[in-house]
Amino acid sequence: MLTRLVGGRVIDPQNGRDAVGDIFIRDGRIVDAPPSGTADETYNVSNKIVMAGAIDVHSHIAGNNETIGRLSLPEERYPSDVVHPGHFPQPRGSWNTFETGRIYATMGFTTVVEPAVLPHHAMQAHLELADIPIIDKATLTVLGNDDFLLNLLHRREGPDAMRDYVAWTLAASRGLGIKVINAGGVAAFKDNLREFSLDDEVPGYGVSSRTIMKALQRAVHELKLPHRLHVHCNNLGIAGNVETALATIAAAEDLPLHLAHLQFYGYGKEGPRGFSSGGARLAEAVNAAGSVTVDVGQVMFGQTVTISCDVLRQFNARNGARPKKWMICDGDSNGGGIVPYNYRGTDFFNAVQWAVGLELFLLTKDPWRVFFTTDHPNGAPFTAYPDILALLMNRDLRAEWISRMPKEAMAVTTLASIAREYTLAEVAIMTRAAPARLLGLTDRGHLGPGALADVAVYETGTDKARMFREAALVFKDGQLIVRDGALLDYPTGRTLSVHTERERAMERRMCDYYEERYGLSPDFMTVADAAIGRPESFETIPCLS
Amino acid sequence: MAEAWIRSKSAALDAAIAQAAGLLAASRLPVIAGLGTDVAGARAAIKLAQSVGGVVDHMHSEALLRDLDVMREAGMMMTTPNEARLRADFLLLVGPGLIEAWPALPERLFANRRTVWLCPDAAAKPENRYQNMVVVGDNPRDLPVILAALRARCVGRPVAHPPLALATIDSLMAELRKVRFGVAIWSAAQHDGLVIEMLCGLVDDLNKGTRFSGLPLAPADNAAAVQQVAGWMSGFPLRTGFGRRLPEHDPWRFEASRLIDSGEADCAVWISAYGARSPTWKRNLPLVALTARPDTLGADVTIAVGRPGIDHDAVEHLAATATLSAVSASKPSTAMSVASVIGKIRAALPAARPC
Repeated sequence: MLTRLVGGRVIDPQNGRDAVGDIFIRDGRIVDAPPSGTADETYNVSNKIVMAGAIDVHSHIAGNNETIGRLSLPEERYPSDVVHPGHFPQPRGSWNTFETGRIYATMGFTTVVEPAVLPHHAMQAHLELADIPIIDKATLTVLGNDDFLLNLLHRREGPDAMRDYVAWTLAASRGLGIKVINAGGVAAFKDNLREFSLDDEVPGYGVSSRTIMKALQRAVHELKLPHRLHVHCNNLGIAGNVETALATIAAAEDLPLHLAHLQFYGYGKEGPRGFSSGGARLAEAVNAAGSVTVDVGQVMFGQTVTISCDVLRQFNARNGARPKKWMICDGDSNGGGIVPYNYRGTDFFNAVQWAVGLELFLLTKDPWRVFFTTDHPNGAPFTAYPDILALLMNRDLRAEWISRMPKEAMAVTTLASIAREYTLAEVAIMTRAAPARLLGLTDRGHLGPGALADVAVYETGTDKARMFREAALVFKDGQLIVRDGALLDYPTGRTLSVHTERERAMERRMCDYYEERYGLSPDFMTVADAAIGRPESFETIPCLS
Repeated sequence: MAEAWIRSKSAALDAAIAQAAGLLAASRLPVIAGLGTDVAGARAAIKLAQSVGGVVDHMHSEALLRDLDVMREAGMMMTTPNEARLRADFLLLVGPGLIEAWPALPERLFANRRTVWLCPDAAAKPENRYQNMVVVGDNPRDLPVILAALRARCVGRPVAHPPLALATIDSLMAELRKVRFGVAIWSAAQHDGLVIEMLCGLVDDLNKGTRFSGLPLAPADNAAAVQQVAGWMSGFPLRTGFGRRLPEHDPWRFEASRLIDSGEADCAVWISAYGARSPTWKRNLPLVALTARPDTLGADVTIAVGRPGIDHDAVEHLAATATLSAVSASKPSTAMSVASVIGKIRAALPAARPC
């Protein structure tokens, strides 16, 4: 069947296209205009914007920590007045897998990365992802506070063993890439350290955070994984932590490195309250460091919950919980912390955080290296995306928000002085083309022949938030899923994972290690296709050539 | 060969499925209860409840909610069995029921570390005691006050009329302060919620100086996994109803036995794939039973199901790791899984939509 989208403004930066034209879809893929014949289905999209489906590189949508969050916050909701048709599942408005897929799809997102899966909990993460309909998913496997890895480094076993271990763990946990979260800091907290920086050493192992990060960066690079090492730095959320982020950027050297939710590291110690924006300094450093990519982790105001495998940070934040309740888990390797939080526009610190995020978006020059996230749900739920895009695209709207913020907060940031407005083409790079490139997904994020027919069509208009909240049309694998912001169907999505070898000697070693340390077989952590309970739930993404 | 009964008479599976679907379709408020099943069975049961506007509750919800209430009203530091095994230099065993909740506990965790058991049950009798173990308090009824006294002493407050000699309390507190990574272990089935909150508060206070964490032992019948499935599928714990076309959670309103005994619910599905447990409600009502021991209930429709991890492969919460993990069948059989039976019931409902 041939489907034709007629007369829209097609914005496809990957293929250098930004013009009025048509898009053709056949068998779930984008195809060239056929030489003759008529389409079986035609959609008139004149005066509308046509982009590839959006890709979110960092959003905590699944796993045991998220679900503890759901269980702990029965009062937490996605804002939604949608009443589903009778034959749909009925979890409207609540914070669950079905609504996650539905709301992402209605905004035109078709691929989302869950960035923090602990190897021992990978089974649950993949079960949850399989229950998120419509969108495709991928996971990043978390390493860097695990006893096995710290011992490898302690014994100076070298890059071959590290590479085999990373490959083995990825294969068991079915990840697309590797993330490190407060490298060594979570293990150090188990030994009663309450602060941990880039050059601090984990007690008992004598290994620094920098050593862990560099070893993983190298292993990921040598394995040619499609996604570079994804880093959650030390000292998240602390005044003066811009120095940590700057040191981490410098530590990237010439190898690729992705720094997650950089906003949470953009804090100086200036100003009357000892808390100021380091956003401009940080953006300048990112601009100069070609091997570094970042995502922002924008803060927006309202109730949310912070969910993180940075147990040290969450422990230190627990007494600031809004409302006052929390869960901290000293897990195998990282663990997790769930701390609800309400960002308030009247709060000096929260207002500075909001401004730092926007500064990073607006002062980072290359839209191919800065990514659009709220670190959902840590800075804000992903449902806030349309409002953030509106702020980025409209300086008058920003000025209006700034006028309502505490003046002393705006005085310690540069936000009010920034005139830049994102264009639609830059939005298409930041939310489509660049994430596909960052994740090594060659048939996503663009609309060239052969690409997956994941397509979002938006109305044009001055209200950009409305435009991006309710897509006019969304196609997933060529199937029309959303019309005028309403869901039409909910097909099952896939989970993208990379194939790595479980090398024989490492397999034996892991069996011995689990037996010796835990008295267990490592089989309990293996994610098997059959256990997911849905056919063809995985799609393999090749390593880089 | 499937085994099914309609009012205790052997019946063809299709007839039993049709009868069950008919009872559910005719019901104004069905309850899907018991929920002793694997992850696939829990997913299917929750979908069924969504389809028929029913309520989901687990036979061990009471214990699940006691721990959860501490998390969602106060705070909880916890750790994993693996981390306790690897790292703990001290175990604080709290109250009775621990061995019952996790029979492998002594073998997994007791060796090579100092252990103090507060107010134990018979499992800690002298002949069962383990090396390095000390018992403090012999009456479980004293436990709330002992914990309160410990917490008061932890922050330097005076204590009046402690159930134990103050010197005993103080020397235990001195020991707790000195551990490097201590782990408190309890089974929520045995305690009032406030006892757990007091214990978790004590653990939090100890973290001002050293490292201490908690290890709640999960109830039986895969309760912890079923609670997680409910969490991700609905956004809520168990005791959630779908009757108004959106999930609503209320631990009192959606308790299965209360709904049935009060007459609010008019049909029940009882799921007990792990063993012979029976419902606790008193009233008779149209009942569909999916159980591994079909002889135990006189239900309107009874369908025999296999035991997860024994008759068929399953994903379950493992006590040894506190993770959801895939388990291969230890004695594979042709017995049907809860998920497959419920799938057939859903398909037999009028206007059901497969998914």
